[in-house]
Amino acid sequence: MAQDPRVTRMEDLPGPKSKGEMDEFKMPYEEYCKKLFDVGNEHTKPKPLNGIRWLSCTMYIFTPHAVANLAELGAEVIKLEIPRMGEPMRHTSPFNEVYLYPFHDARPMTGTGLGYTNANPNKYFVTMDYHIPEMREVFYSLVKKSDGLTELYRPGTLDKWKMSYRYLSEINPRFIYVWGGGFGYGPKVFGGSYDILGQAHAGLASITGMHEYMGGHCSKCTNWIIDWQSGTLISCAIMSAIHHRRKTGLGTMIEFSQVQVPTRMLGHTTTMYGKFGIVRQRWGNWDTQLAVHGIILCGKSDFPDADNPQDKHDARYVMVSAFQDQDFKELCDITGLKELYDKYKVYKDRVEGEAQLEIYTALEKWAADKSRSQVAKILTDAGILAEPVRNDREVYESQHYRERGTVRWMDDPIFGDMVVHGGYSTGLMEKSPRRINWHWRPLGADNKKIYRDLLGVPLTKIEEWYKKAYI
Amino acid sequence: MCDIIWCKKEVGGKPCDTINYLDPYCFWNWEGKINCAECGTVYYIHMIQGFMYKGPEEKPGEKPDTSPLYADKPYDGYSNYRPGVEGRTRPFQCIPRAKLLGVADKVKFSIRGRPVRGWRPQPPSAGLAGSFGFNWDIQKLSPEVWEEYQKKLAAGEVKDW
Repeated sequence: MAQDPRVTRMEDLPGPKSKGEMDEFKMPYEEYCKKLFDVGNEHTKPKPLNGIRWLSCTMYIFTPHAVANLAELGAEVIKLEIPRMGEPMRHTSPFNEVYLYPFHDARPMTGTGLGYTNANPNKYFVTMDYHIPEMREVFYSLVKKSDGLTELYRPGTLDKWKMSYRYLSEINPRFIYVWGGGFGYGPKVFGGSYDILGQAHAGLASITGMHEYMGGHCSKCTNWIIDWQSGTLISCAIMSAIHHRRKTGLGTMIEFSQVQVPTRMLGHTTTMYGKFGIVRQRWGNWDTQLAVHGIILCGKSDFPDADNPQDKHDARYVMVSAFQDQDFKELCDITGLKELYDKYKVYKDRVEGEAQLEIYTALEKWAADKSRSQVAKILTDAGILAEPVRNDREVYESQHYRERGTVRWMDDPIFGDMVVHGGYSTGLMEKSPRRINWHWRPLGADNKKIYRDLLGVPLTKIEEWYKKAYI
Repeated sequence: MCDIIWCKKEVGGKPCDTINYLDPYCFWNWEGKINCAECGTVYYIHMIQGFMYKGPEEKPGEKPDTSPLYADKPYDGYSNYRPGVEGRTRPFQCIPRAKLLGVADKVKFSIRGRPVRGWRPQPPSAGLAGSFGFNWDIQKLSPEVWEEYQKKLAAGEVKDW
């Protein structure tokens, strides 16, 4: 600042302060963004949540993911797992075939399954049988040195063990306590939950998939989106609680029912029922609010000679969007379906159920002798939004994801060469980006680090606990 | 879900009443013979998509293809056979369901040809209470994979993507 506030100095004004800065300002915007986010060099920048230490008594995807978000943002997360066994997700792998070894010294023939992916990066892995009275004080000493805990047991379980919020907040008034589980208090307080249960309970599955008279059934989203989404929403709640604590100095309790999350994802469904008594129906790959705006089936696969059935048979779907009147006209012109345009010139007519049936049927008939990429090219060249429905391999090979660092290879310090995406699919941050330091670590890998280095427990004691299977 | 074979074979004048648990991953789509952990009676089953399509049918005198993972006797105070009791239950070894009687798919190199720890057994941590050092010193811990990797590098088989 200038000495005299009435004096305006050039360097205090917004805008470039030097020739170098001016050149930077003149960069093409894309180059500017690339330089700003500097993909691949995340580790040279500060961690936004550095200094936060979080405890995690979590399993599966939902609650571990809530904490993984913190770990990717730089918090020191200590995951407590059951000695020798670890949490169940370590034993979960696609078709039980994909493992990374070792799991733990005591089980040399066992590995951690890839089901553990994305919900556990950057954490410190400690074993502790925290429910036995012998380890209660050790648990408390971790609480004294931490900012918060996330747990997922049935309501009241940790209370029974004297480890619930009402006990822990007496030990550490700044402690933030998160319970994440199935139903929370209410008529089904002891009900457990899985992602699929949430999708069913909240009605999300009922509006997903094609209608039965069109050969469809209600569907769950294959990958456990309610688990991932609930975890992310818990992370939002934790950030708010940390901000609240900054203002008041006090911790708080967060009670998070997984089955309430899909209700947020239902959009207008419930409000529409409240207003008109209409129960929403499934409309599959089409859209109840926009037409054309859906996925169509083409006649030919892009990879007819491939071995993999996902390539050979499934590379036949294209997403098409042409709901504005002008776009729809262009779509009808290019596909030779002019009579459709004459019939459904106005958006309101097109969006009706019967109209959509007729339009999509005609489009699929037009695409019946074409491959997926042919259809996408014809439509894109005509200025219509169209995109092939890609599979994993195509996503891996996509230049777009590679350039932005969304999909990348990393040399995991313990497990070696791995392709990762989770931590880098959450948007770019200029000054304090997310990062993945390690995919996960073997069970109890950080016992010495936490018990000795953090809590000051002598090595002989740690060994004694280990032999008794306390840790 | 976990399907069971409830053995009701008469042994010594009273029913065996042992519940043999079938690990769902391995038996999801499976046809074969399995023994009762208690009395050894061999049963034939055929499961399709986790549904018991045929069986269990007794097959006296035939050899079982495999054993249950775990078994218990609810009328006998839940006395049980844990996994890996020789001749009664099989050990839990993460054997893939598609290759029940074979070995798990193991890899030493990723699709771009660099080492990844996808095989077992691995050397122990040598740390205290299961703790691990923060580095996989591949040359020291897995010299044979290191050598193979050097050959791959020389042959230009290691790619960036």
